[in-house]
Amino acid sequence: MGQVLVIGLVEGTLFGLLAVGITLIYRGTGSINFALGEIGTFGLYVAWWLTIDRGLPWIVGAAGAVAVSVALSLAFERLVVRPMKVRSPLAISVATVGLLTALLSFEFQKFGESPREVPVPIHGLGVRIAGVNVSPTQLLSLGVVAAIALGLGQFLRRTDFGLGVLAAAQDPDATRLVGVPLRRVTAFVWGAGGAVAALAALFVAPTVGVLTPGFASTHLFVVALIAAVVGGLSSLQGAFVGGLALGVLKSGVLRVFSESALPGKEYLVYLAIGVAVLLLRPDGILGAPRLRGAT
Amino acid sequence: MTPTVPMTPTVWLRYLGVLLVAVSAPVLLGEMGVLNDTRALVLGEAVALAIAALSLNVLMGYAGQISLGHFALLGIGAFVSSKVTAPSAGNPVALPFVVGLVAATGAGGVVAFLIGLPALRLRGLYLAVVTIVFNFVMVQSLFQSSWLSSGSGGVELPRPLIGSFDFVRNADYLAVLLAVLVLVWLIDANLSASKLGRAFHAIRSDETMAASFGVDVTRYKLMAFTISGALAGLAGALYGHLFTFVNSGTFDLTQSLFLLTLVVIGGLGSRAGVVAAALLYGVLDFVLGEVFGADVAGWVVFGSALLLMFTIAQHATGLAGAIRDARERRNERSVHVAAITPQMVDLPRPTGLPARVSASSTDGPLLAVRGVTVDFGGLRAVDDVSIDVPTGRIVGLIGPNGAGKTTLFNAISGALRPDAGHIELLGRDLSGTPAHVRAAAGIGRTFQMIGLATDLSVTENMLLAQHQVATYGPLESLAGLGRAPRIEAEMRQRANDAIEALGFARYADTPVKNLSHGQQRIVEIGCALVTAPELVMLDEPSAGMAPGAVENLAVRLRDIRDELDRTVLLIEHNIPLVLDVCDEIYVLANGALIAHGLPDDVVARPEVIEAYLGAAI
Repeated sequence: MGQVLVIGLVEGTLFGLLAVGITLIYRGTGSINFALGEIGTFGLYVAWWLTIDRGLPWIVGAAGAVAVSVALSLAFERLVVRPMKVRSPLAISVATVGLLTALLSFEFQKFGESPREVPVPIHGLGVRIAGVNVSPTQLLSLGVVAAIALGLGQFLRRTDFGLGVLAAAQDPDATRLVGVPLRRVTAFVWGAGGAVAALAALFVAPTVGVLTPGFASTHLFVVALIAAVVGGLSSLQGAFVGGLALGVLKSGVLRVFSESALPGKEYLVYLAIGVAVLLLRPDGILGAPRLRGAT
Repeated sequence: MTPTVPMTPTVWLRYLGVLLVAVSAPVLLGEMGVLNDTRALVLGEAVALAIAALSLNVLMGYAGQISLGHFALLGIGAFVSSKVTAPSAGNPVALPFVVGLVAATGAGGVVAFLIGLPALRLRGLYLAVVTIVFNFVMVQSLFQSSWLSSGSGGVELPRPLIGSFDFVRNADYLAVLLAVLVLVWLIDANLSASKLGRAFHAIRSDETMAASFGVDVTRYKLMAFTISGALAGLAGALYGHLFTFVNSGTFDLTQSLFLLTLVVIGGLGSRAGVVAAALLYGVLDFVLGEVFGADVAGWVVFGSALLLMFTIAQHATGLAGAIRDARERRNERSVHVAAITPQMVDLPRPTGLPARVSASSTDGPLLAVRGVTVDFGGLRAVDDVSIDVPTGRIVGLIGPNGAGKTTLFNAISGALRPDAGHIELLGRDLSGTPAHVRAAAGIGRTFQMIGLATDLSVTENMLLAQHQVATYGPLESLAGLGRAPRIEAEMRQRANDAIEALGFARYADTPVKNLSHGQQRIVEIGCALVTAPELVMLDEPSAGMAPGAVENLAVRLRDIRDELDRTVLLIEHNIPLVLDVCDEIYVLANGALIAHGLPDDVVARPEVIEAYLGAAI
């Protein structure tokens, strides 16, 4: 039981982190960035190149990954989203599917399907919590996620810019009233999304072990997307809590059904949770304000 | 939407001719040795991809809903067809190929219905969310289960065997694939020309508008995904029997994403566009592979993805749409919109609707609104409003901007659900019913922003407006048989009569977006009247009209009351028009009712003047 909880929570924080990224972009633009996971994978390939291939320290690889993921997100916003003739949430979302396809095919062409070694920040045995060995990487991961969650929360709630970001989706006028240009809000949500995608991918990588094209889409994004739905696609806290819950559920299911030969059982759980939320609480577990139904 | 032709005998013959060519050409070319096994396999894959693209096009191009997991549905079709047709330990009786295809089609439809159910009740991107997760579920898990595929080993799908003829040669199987492509094209063409095609298009344009014409939005979205899923299952089975082997990896997410890419760059909603894109890709991939090697061919997907982003950024309807628009612009230039004086004569009462209750047979008002309250977040947009609309009157609803008039309209028509209150039409309580039920009960309406499918022609909008009287079923829509042709012909006649009466005959086939704003208003009002509703609710019909047209509008509004014997509820900012035509008016300010009475009395009251002036300052 303790083991299930610890493993689940460690991974769940990363699911939650990416879910917060998805939710931020949804609140800022009304669209879902389906490429968000793969933007993280792309950063991870950069980290692989800097550390494993070039032999530089982990922190350099991590910085490179975050920088490239943020740049990629911002470039997409600047080159594809902003010049759009019909900038509807549907059109933006379909365009992100294009970005996802482009990134996946680029990775297949450039790196091939053969798995690559992933960079690990700290090697060593780590500490035992509730009878479970928690690696130094996982501790670092917990620390970093906690710092981001607290920092982001303070930033969004305590600064005018942050309040502008939170208001953008529901009421663009309110955003203008606090003196924040919508353009900067949009750039911020895409950039911040890219940053959390890179970080989540970097920290989940040592757990998965190998890097292949589609890495973060398969291991992170699909769970984070359901976590964001659990938060009603509108609540940042709800998305994070959803991530934690899905992390624990995943580790629980894998533990309970460890005898079963069926591969990929955790995906069945994600789908079931997603469907249940849509049927029972489509506005999310934390009961965000009613956004549907109005014209 | 592609302009569509009703299924006349000539059209049937044309399809038969195409079918004969499609079947005989590959067989003959195969005999001649031109179409060797490798080339026929490449073409076969392209044709299967084209069927899959048509399937996704029904959902995405017609109904505007996204599936990111379409290849999982193809996979369902392939695995089911394998279960049915391949002899195995658990399945001693291998059934024929055709049974496999039917089972695959059915399974694809059923699975799509089940996964669409939770997502499509809601507005927005939820189907994309559910389908992407579904693709992972199938590929990472169920397609690898021992029940479906004995681990990730995969399954066999035998080529068809008809009598003693075995379709082992790829050119012969290509003939089968092409025959199915022609059949699916025919079904797709029937669908587009039917009430299904129009309802899907309306949903894609604007769900609220679609519901105001009586379209049950959730039901039709589900129908689009079910039809799309069935076609995907069929495509998957055909694909599997082509390669005679599939495993979980065959249906990976990357395939689904690539299919979506093809459909978007081919042109959402264009049959010819998406089929061309799929065939072109198949050939291009093969030729590039032969000339430059597989590595270069692999960049085609990358290039397509960039093209998708470009297509979406530049024009929301893809390449085929851009070409079509350019052609339309050229054609429209010659017949530029001239001023016309629309007439409104009595529109014939459509069959299939309940007879209108005459004023004498009911005691109460036609429409009774009781204590309606609507809250948006913390803001009270409509505050405990009660109004009566007596039969055969024109009742005005006025008030400064932001008073809650349109919100009240939306509460009456069912476009939004009020937080409190009741809506009754002819004594029947409609509170809590969805918009399409209220449309069927006899409430027609127009919108502040034109509520028409602006890509469609005037005639097609008039047909869309008659959605409730199109009582034929979905299967009749797809086959173009049964009651569908007769009912469609009646609807078309009524549409033509209405267009004639409005004075729009020469614009019957013109897309609504090419008409002037005032003309669009007239068409919209015509659409609201074509099913002869009890109550017509008009939201600022004079907005954007020239002064001369407003005078004409006043005459037409009185015609609607006196000649057509309808009841009108009217939102207007043009006070002279209101004073001219309304029998009584209600005044809203800040969500609350502040006055009611005869027009001339009400506008002279100090509280009304203050509400208007206060808003003006």
